[in-house]
Amino acid sequence: MVVLSAARWVRSRLSDRFWRVQEVLKYARHFRGRKNRCYKLAVRSVRRAFVRSTKARREKKRFLRALWITRIEAASLEHGLKYPAFISNLVKSQVELNRKVLADLAIYEPKTFKSLAALAQRRRQEGFLAALGDGKEPEGIFSRIVHHH
Amino acid sequence: RYVRQLQRLQLLFSPTAADARGARQFVEEAAQDFARQHPDVVLYVSPHSGPGPAPVLRAEYLNGTVRDELIASKTSEEIVQLATKLANQSGLDIIRIRKPFHTDNPSVQGQWHPLTNKPSILTIQGPRLQPQ
Repeated sequence: MVVLSAARWVRSRLSDRFWRVQEVLKYARHFRGRKNRCYKLAVRSVRRAFVRSTKARREKKRFLRALWITRIEAASLEHGLKYPAFISNLVKSQVELNRKVLADLAIYEPKTFKSLAALAQRRRQEGFLAALGDGKEPEGIFSRIVHHH
Repeated sequence: RYVRQLQRLQLLFSPTAADARGARQFVEEAAQDFARQHPDVVLYVSPHSGPGPAPVLRAEYLNGTVRDELIASKTSEEIVQLATKLANQSGLDIIRIRKPFHTDNPSVQGQWHPLTNKPSILTIQGPRLQPQ
């Protein structure tokens, strides 16, 4: 007798349930409580953990920028400048360093950061002279702008 | 000069199993061409008789990592593609790299510590200086 299809009352049974469960549990191993052992609880926790990690990628950028700003503020206060004055005067002197690099310089290259703070301070003084001095004195040296065409 | 990080490729399969058909075809047709194109990789073909574990392509690298790839129910072309992919890899673990850069000497001017920007009178250690 030739049988071309299985009888309708024969159903196939899962043989690799263990591995399917382990695929989920391996991401839950460092969780607290029963959710690192029990599959039913782990499925929910793992899915929420993944969702949170995707959303957190946008927050990470904001968090790191705030951290850099805090560090630059602390370092510039050591040299007697506040953060808004430091950043605005650096931008006016055409020093296009971003906050990440400035924070790394403040940590690993303190003398360079001191010179940057001195540059910002000098540009600040020239800005005050230009605003209050009423155009009789010559223009400041560090206020000159280089045009790249 | 380019040094290929793949040391040897071991083709472990059974000559009678049904899912090792692609492996057998690969050995018959494409293994010699592959070995000629990659002269610095040693290709071992080890058939184990009788029912055994699934057919596997084992890649060993110069830094010691061993990578097993299942070739059960794969065609000969797919095995060739797999083998070239393994040959172009290095043996480093395939995990997320936290930072794409690394230095052993991060600081040239000396790392900041709380006493870097303070007057140097604070760092002097010695017999107590008398106030003048």
